[in-house]
Amino acid sequence: MAVLMSESITIKGVRDGLLIILPNDGDFASVYTLLQTEIEQKHQFLMGSRIILQCKKRPLTEFQLHSILTLFAKHELSLHTVLGERMETRDAARALGLGTRLAGSSTDLDGNVIRERKTAVTTLPPEANSLLLRETFRSGRSVRHDGHIIIIGDVNPGAEITAGGNVIVWGRLRGLVHAGAYGDETAVICALDLNPTQLRIADKIAIPPQENGRKPTPEQAAIRNGQIIAEAW
Amino acid sequence: MSAKVITVTSGKGGVGKTTLTANLSAALAGLGHKVTAIDADIGLRNLDVVMGLENRIVYDLVDVIEGRCRLRQAMIKDKRKTDLYLIPAAQTRDKMAVSPSDMILVCDQLREVMDYIIIDSPAGIERGFQNAIAPADQALVITNPEISAVRDADRIIGLIESEEKGPAQLIVNRLKPKMVARGDMLSVDDILEVLAVDLVGVIPEDESILISTNQGLPVTMAAVDGTIAGQAFNNIARRLSGEDVPFLDLTPKTSVIDRVRDWLNGK
Repeated sequence: MAVLMSESITIKGVRDGLLIILPNDGDFASVYTLLQTEIEQKHQFLMGSRIILQCKKRPLTEFQLHSILTLFAKHELSLHTVLGERMETRDAARALGLGTRLAGSSTDLDGNVIRERKTAVTTLPPEANSLLLRETFRSGRSVRHDGHIIIIGDVNPGAEITAGGNVIVWGRLRGLVHAGAYGDETAVICALDLNPTQLRIADKIAIPPQENGRKPTPEQAAIRNGQIIAEAW
Repeated sequence: MSAKVITVTSGKGGVGKTTLTANLSAALAGLGHKVTAIDADIGLRNLDVVMGLENRIVYDLVDVIEGRCRLRQAMIKDKRKTDLYLIPAAQTRDKMAVSPSDMILVCDQLREVMDYIIIDSPAGIERGFQNAIAPADQALVITNPEISAVRDADRIIGLIESEEKGPAQLIVNRLKPKMVARGDMLSVDDILEVLAVDLVGVIPEDESILISTNQGLPVTMAAVDGTIAGQAFNNIARRLSGEDVPFLDLTPKTSVIDRVRDWLNGK
């Protein structure tokens, strides 16, 4: 097993691929530069690897994670999973379609227990795999999850929610929701006020009619006879 | 066919880039040209809302660049005009998702099939502006008759020249002829004296613009072309397509009633 140490970035070979551990201190720019030098130096060794990125306590935004992703892609590394203790890091990883935990392990590769967010129930079996989020999704936020997504809060125009299963919004849904993203036509979308910019279920797309003076009522959208229909919930 | 790529920019935010892009695109399409509007403001998109096409977005510019869809799939056809399309920006990403060379590639594909490509630039002089200006054949700088907007326009004109996309052409937006007449607002001549570039249009302040942007219906698209701003936009479109159109007469009306009203209002 190769263990390569640099000033502050650690690279280890592990069962699931190569583990890159980012240091806890230093700003993003300096960590990025370190990472870049490290990858460029060890390009031959790293090329083609599956990477697991351990961010520990470091918060990474979607933008920062995306720039790391681009850096990796340039060197033919595929980032597979992002581990971290910070909720924003994991949100960012999910938004970019990356995994946030390793299969069947409740500890990270340093032997530390991964502290799951209290609201994020991701330890259930796959068929009951749900993500519970208690926040308001404003324009520009996006969440992607393989199972069901339950949101306690509003989804504003410009926010995007993508789920493999069903989506429930306990609040106003005014943005874009895609349920059954992997082709499940039985998926449904429910909201206390269903007034989205656009709805997608499996490969169907619906644009709700503009109604003036509508009263918010709980509704559920589902595919009926090949069309997305909203009905009272 | 080879389209002309026109980038609308300003440096300062809120002076009317998106409104100009939407109305100019609709006006050019109204003249029978094939037009595609591109929103280059990744992460803060607005052009789709102003054009009333927000709810029809499936794929966006970043999807095209990252290969998740074909260019044609990201082009939303505006059903109210024969040949008007919008390529929306991505909202959940940021400027770094697009590079200047990506923009050149996308525009080069469109050049084959379009007459005009109008790019809505984000505010600022950083990456978003670089992306928007990279494929441009022509740059339109829009400004308001106020010192800060003119400063920023001056800066952006310099940048356009250093990118060798000049000379920039100027549009003055939200002019209030009455305030100019009283000497309370910069006149078009004052602005031209500072910026020293060609003027292609003056758009007077017009409430109908706010109504139309909220409705997602550009004034140049409305069935009855009654608004003064709509006329100004249409004139810009005609000037850009080579016609020689005189500027609108915006000198304030000085009827007796107006003068009495002004006097009563203490002006």
